[in-house]
Amino acid sequence: MNYIDLIRQSEDLVTAGMSACQGCGAELCLRRVLQVAGRNTILSIPPGCMAGAGVVGWNFDNGLKIPVHIPLLDNTASFLSGVTNMYQRKNRPDVNIIAFAGDGATADCGFQSLSGAAERGEKLLYICYDNEGYMNTGFQRSSTSSKGSRTSTTPVGKVQDGKSQNQKYMPLIMAMHNVEYVATASPSNMKDMVDKVTKGIQASKKGFAYIHIFSPCPTGWGHETDQTIEVARKAVKSNFFPLFEVEQGKWKLLDNKNPIPVSDLLNLLRKFSHLSPDDIAQIQELVDKRMDLLRKLSAA
Amino acid sequence: MSKKFITPVGDEGIYTLDTGSWRTFKPVMLKEKCTNCGLCMIFCPVGSITGDENKIYEIGYQYCKGCGICARECPTKAIIMVRESIE
Ligand SMILES: Cc1ncc(C[n+]2csc(CCOP(=O)(O)OP(=O)(O)O)c2C)c(N)n1
Ligand code: SF4
Ligand code: SF4
Ligand code: SF4
Ligand SMILES: [Mg+2]
Repeated sequence: MNYIDLIRQSEDLVTAGMSACQGCGAELCLRRVLQVAGRNTILSIPPGCMAGAGVVGWNFDNGLKIPVHIPLLDNTASFLSGVTNMYQRKNRPDVNIIAFAGDGATADCGFQSLSGAAERGEKLLYICYDNEGYMNTGFQRSSTSSKGSRTSTTPVGKVQDGKSQNQKYMPLIMAMHNVEYVATASPSNMKDMVDKVTKGIQASKKGFAYIHIFSPCPTGWGHETDQTIEVARKAVKSNFFPLFEVEQGKWKLLDNKNPIPVSDLLNLLRKFSHLSPDDIAQIQELVDKRMDLLRKLSAA
Repeated sequence: MSKKFITPVGDEGIYTLDTGSWRTFKPVMLKEKCTNCGLCMIFCPVGSITGDENKIYEIGYQYCKGCGICARECPTKAIIMVRESIE
């Protein structure tokens, strides 16, 4: 089925009104992911914007129309390992076991439990929505915040010029776990995202699947609320956020032969407004190098 | 509350906020310009745009936060943002 028909016909399983900001990329991705997954799903959302926005519910009300659990910031993957093992033992492989976790819960706090579950090949789909920081607690840096990002813990001033370290590149780290399925996705390329979530769910019936989603955050990144899709699109078109998938070891990379300059993306975001032309050139170099590496890996 | 500790899908119901009240600008669809492509529905973070079996799309205002994504992404500029009035 055409992806637009699929989304039109599938039920929105998220509460009609949740407190995510206007134009939140994560809210968009959560709704679309669950429209693909359907009702036969158990979701786990660790502390972060999506849990905090009311998606796990309050006062004995649910934020989703399916079971949702809030584990700790550190243990989403191990928590779901237990859940999936129970369902496999009860001979219920039909139930989709899915995590929807922020980058802090994925790349920092929850990293060891995630790595362990991936290595054990637990039958679940782990989705990271990457807004490049601890947004729910006030925009602190995380290990996936891009170099140069202005965050509340990497401010711009006399002593510091935004984040000085490079971003930890989770998609590749997860690909090197040699799991069933790893992919990156962007809400700007919705057909691709729908396809990848479908594949990820199928792969989670055989083993561990991981999808890393680029998730623009108008409030934390400083862009207009209507620019969310444009920001995501420019991230893909500039190779700032390359789209690829690794299916049982087989690579597929969406290669932009004529990428737009990364400055086209950076100029949209206030978190990068302090960058000098030199800083931007450095980021461009990082982006080009990573793309070269991905090209080599996908050609191998 | 009797099932306080067993909440498969909410003991009481679904937690819902009145997000429609956040809006300062309201998206308005100009039907004569709309080609029924469905992209506004695809990109609405709130799920406020729905389509029927004839692929006719409509904006619901109960929860729409007024972000303006639908207006910006519409390929034919069939959605305009209009300031909400205080009545
Ligand atoms: C161990 C631990 N430390 C700190 C917190 C406080 N905390 C709650 S949400 C959050 C931010 C999580 O960031 P991320 O996973 O990236 O999700 P986002 O808020 O960006 O959506 C933090 C630090 C916590 N819940 N647990
Ligand atoms: S802070 Fe960012 S990620 Fe969190 S709800 Fe707001 S827009 Fe979404
Ligand atoms: S995006 Fe524009 S043309 Fe397409 S259905 Fe929506 S209003 Fe109509
Ligand atoms: S303004 Fe935003 S929330 Fe309202 S219908 Fe358009 S995309 Fe959806
Ligand atoms: Mg985050």
